[in-house]
Parts: sequence; C-alpha cells; structure tokens
Amino acid sequence: MENKYLEISKKIQEESRKLLSEGKVERIIGFGRGEFTKEITPIFVSDPDRADELLFTPECDMMLAKYLLDYKGSKTGIVAKPCDTRAITVYLAEELIKREEVFIIGINDCEGLDDNDACEECGIRNPVVVDLEIGQPRKEEIDPEIKDELEEMTREERFEYFQKEFSRCIRCYACREACFVCTCDECFADSNQPQWVGASIGKRDNFTFHLMRAMHMAGRCINCGACEQACPEGINMRALTKHLYRVAKDVYQFEPGLDPEEKTLFATYKLNDSEQGFLD
Amino acid sequence: MAVLKVLQKDELGKLLETLSNEFRIIAPVVRKYGKKERVEYHQVEDFSEIHLNRQPDTPPKKYFLPQNERLGEERSGEEVTETGDRKTLIFGVRSCDLSAIDILKPVFLDDDFTDTYFQNRLENTLMFGLGCSERQENCFCDSLGINPLGDENVPVYMHDDGERIWFEVKAKELEKFFTEFPDGDPKELEEKKNSWLEEFKKSAIEIGVPIPLPELVSFNAPFWKEVAANCLGCGVCTYYCPTCFCFGFFWEKREEEIDKWRTWDSCMFPLFTKHGSGHNPRETQDQRTRQRIMHKFSYHPSNFEGVPACSACGRCISQCPVNIDLRVILKTAEKYLDNQEGVKSSG
Repeated sequence: MENKYLEISKKIQEESRKLLSEGKVERIIGFGRGEFTKEITPIFVSDPDRADELLFTPECDMMLAKYLLDYKGSKTGIVAKPCDTRAITVYLAEELIKREEVFIIGINDCEGLDDNDACEECGIRNPVVVDLEIGQPRKEEIDPEIKDELEEMTREERFEYFQKEFSRCIRCYACREACFVCTCDECFADSNQPQWVGASIGKRDNFTFHLMRAMHMAGRCINCGACEQACPEGINMRALTKHLYRVAKDVYQFEPGLDPEEKTLFATYKLNDSEQGFLD
Repeated sequence: MAVLKVLQKDELGKLLETLSNEFRIIAPVVRKYGKKERVEYHQVEDFSEIHLNRQPDTPPKKYFLPQNERLGEERSGEEVTETGDRKTLIFGVRSCDLSAIDILKPVFLDDDFTDTYFQNRLENTLMFGLGCSERQENCFCDSLGINPLGDENVPVYMHDDGERIWFEVKAKELEKFFTEFPDGDPKELEEKKNSWLEEFKKSAIEIGVPIPLPELVSFNAPFWKEVAANCLGCGVCTYYCPTCFCFGFFWEKREEEIDKWRTWDSCMFPLFTKHGSGHNPRETQDQRTRQRIMHKFSYHPSNFEGVPACSACGRCISQCPVNIDLRVILKTAEKYLDNQEGVKSSG
C-alpha cells in the first residue's frame, strides 16, 4: 500500500477505535479486506479491538452510504469518500436519515479510484458534509468535463446503442442494489400488481427496466459509477445516467448532493426553468 | 482403455472443423465489453477464438437450463420440446462445471417428475472436459471432494500443459475424429497430472463444516446477520452459479395463443417468496442469504445422497459486487457449529 493510503488507513483505525471505545458511535461502516480473496469488502466494526481491520485504498469503490439505511435509530460512523458524503447529503435532503444519527469520517483530497471511469468526471474531491476529516483538503477546484456520448447520437443511434448494451443484461439488479439512489421500499421491477416490466431477459423488458430506472435518477444521480462497478456484465448504463446528470447541471444548474438543505430538483419549479427535457 | 492423443494448440482448429460437421460447437471465447474482458461460452464458428486459459466467467448452465425458455403454448395435451438437427458439443468444461451438471441431474430427472426440456438438452449434448492445471481465481473444488482433474462421465477429457492439449478419448464412436493426430505417452501425462495435483494441494483450504449442515441448529444460528450484513441483495451469486436452478413461470399473450415461459429466479430477491397477501416469510436479506447457503449445504445434500449443491467454482465470490466470500461463510458456520454440543457427532 502506498504511504499516503497507509497513513489514511492508520488515521481511520485510530479515530474509529476512539469513537467506539468512547461509545460515540455503535458501529463504523468502512472497508476491510477479505480473508481469502484479499479484495476490498464493506465491513461493520463495533468492537474497538477490531478497528485495525479498517483501511482505505484506491480499490475502495463500493458506495457505503446505502448501508446507513439499515441502521436508522442508532448512531453509526461511516468512512466516507467525497462521493459517499454526497450520497449522505442526498439522504439528508430527502430526509431519509437524520444528521445526528451519522458520524462522518470524511476522506479529503480524493484522487479517484482504480478502474472507475466516473472518477475522471468528478469535481468534488473533498467531503461535502463531515464530522472528522482525514488528510488535508484539496485547495484548487476542478470542473472536469462529463463525457456525454449521447450528445453525439441521434435518437435512432441511441436506441440502437442501448438495445445492444442492454441485450446482455441478466436482470440480476446489481446496478439497482449498488445504487444509493435506489431506495424504494418496492421497486417497480418487483411489483407484480400491476406488473410494469416482465421478468424475462428479452430486449423489451431489459430496455424497460433500465429506462424506467434511469428516469428515477434525474436530479438525484451523482454520477458516482457504482452501478457500472457492480455490473458483472460490463454494461455501460452510465451513458444514460450521466446524461441526466449533465442535463441537470447544464440546463437546470442543479448538482445533487452538495447541500443538505437544498430541495431536490423535482421538488422545485421555477417559472424560468428551461423547456428542455432530460431526453432531448 | 482410453485412446490418448496430443495436439499442438494450432491443430485444435482442424479437429473442431471436423467435429463441427456433426456438432454445434460451444466453447469459451473472450468478449470485451467496455473495460471488462470476459471469458464466456458461446457458439463458435471461428475456432481460433477459443480461449482455454482460464475458468470462464459464466458457467455452461444456460445450455441445459436457459435463463429464458419458452415452454410452448398453454393448452392441454403434449408438451412441446425442441430438438436441433446437430447435437451440441460443449468444449473445455472444467471439473466444477461438470460436477454442477451432475448436481442438476437428480433434480430435473426425478422419477416422479422428469423435466423433459432439461432431459432433452442433456441427451443432445456432450461435453469435452478440461482439467485444471492450476487453481482458478476463487475456486476450492478440492475442498469439497471434487477432483480438479476428474474425468468421469465425459466421453473426452482434455489437459492443457501450456503448449499442447492432451485428449483422453474414452468414447469409441469419437475416436474417428482423432485418428490423424499423434498418440501421447500415458506416463508423461501421468507425471504432469501428479505435479498439477501437488500444486493444488499447496493452496488447498480445509472446509470442515459438516455436510449436510445440521438443519435446526444452523438455521437458528446467530451468524447469518453478520455474514450477510454487507450483502446488497442482488442476484449475481445465484445467476452466475452453475448449480442454482430455481425458476419461475410466466405467461404472455401472443395474438390468440398464450405462451408459457420459464425464467431463472433468485432466492436473493424479496419477490421470490412474497405471498399474494403481501406477507413475506423471508423479509430480510440475512434470511435470504441463509436460504441460499442452507439450500446448498443442508437441504440439497439431505435430499440427494449427501452431495452439496455447490461445485466450489468460486464464481459467486469473483462476481459479487461487494466481494462476499462463500468460504468465509462456511468457515463461520464451522466455527459456530464446533462450539455447539453434539453437532459434530450427529453430523
């Protein structure tokens, strides 16, 4: 492990041990390493003696914020990358969690993760909400370009592109489960009365699933890339959601997950809102 | 006595060319999707594409139990089954996947109810096995008593020594495809096999959990919450599993007829057990994870002569988006059961 990450990990362990032994949190949600795989896996530490298992490296590509929903009603500490803090911010804005129930150990100056293309398009390199900062915050601001490949495509080309991409979908719903935005008690895809989308892996049903899921993402997706990281079939589904992200940003000047007090995009209507839709 | 043949790798095409006159060839090939490079089973026309170097990311299960399968029109009378003109040959199937098909057999070929769709495919498919000359990413077949070079039940078994492919041709009727190729030295192969098995031993892990898992004490164990705490609840582990076979039915109206389909389902989904009333007997993810493990290591072996419904291919581990490890779950169960009185002795 590189020195920088070794230091970050040590600091996380130290602080977590303190938080747990002082009873300030009941558990810490963080990253650890698998016994046999040696791969990164989310771990839940409530015993201060196990705090040493926590670590942080550029392999830590899972979004941990969603696990907070499993522990409502108690105080939970969470090791949070800047994108995790944005997810937490969305949860706070949508009143899905209470601020006093989370303790955010935020990682400063995130350099991006291994193999996650979304990181190259991310301009938020310091935590948005934080209780304890790890490392020095990054000073200079960046505003990288979002490579919106849909921009270049005609409607027909888009249709063809997604037909092809989604034809590989096996409907394992890893994208949905990994996505922090997907928090519905019952997903439309799991509803059978009425049935919005069929259970089969045919082109029609796959297309319906991904399009309908994407339409719930507008103004909420933070372009973290968790969906693609989770997809075992390598489907480029972020082509859809990052388009929505870019439109929200460019057309409605809205970036989700930056302000816990902010109303969500769909909860606000301004007279001077653009007429441009998300699929234009 | 099997005929032993050795082929240079560039001679594979020639062999497959002649085989393809009689068989539809399915084999592992490399596919690139975005940044992902995967090895998958596909029907192959260009035999230079075949990639035997590592365990395919997907099992060959779909050739016996397709994810989506039209069972025919819903009406009384005979069920419709399909038969192709050529038999199917699945090339290069490793021990884990061969064992997995054996695990599926008693389920679908039960005396009281034979699944004719599965039976039909089984009868029209043959597999060429492929020994593992090194351990694959997360596999542990040897820990469950499966031989990584196990050549039972297949007409032809292959070994890849890096340079050449050895063929143990056991079925008389297939010998004709191999006549033009040189014979191999059985002693040389035996030595290679021994050295490969030695290597396997070095990296072996011991799975000491009793199989079948004792039902009640395991079911009521407290560790399920812990091992499933980071589970996202997606279906990757079950859909990539070579032995998971659960499915659901659905019906679709097509003009005047109604088509009956079956499609894979997963015990990891809440909808799998949700009742019409809205009640769900497996409400939480740890209950669903428990079901997956208990089915594989308790219920299945209890019903089918002690054989677990797992061939330890490790795909559920490799493909899991949060890297949950079946070996860790089994070890956790083992540790817990070790401390429960009377479990070990009663099995």
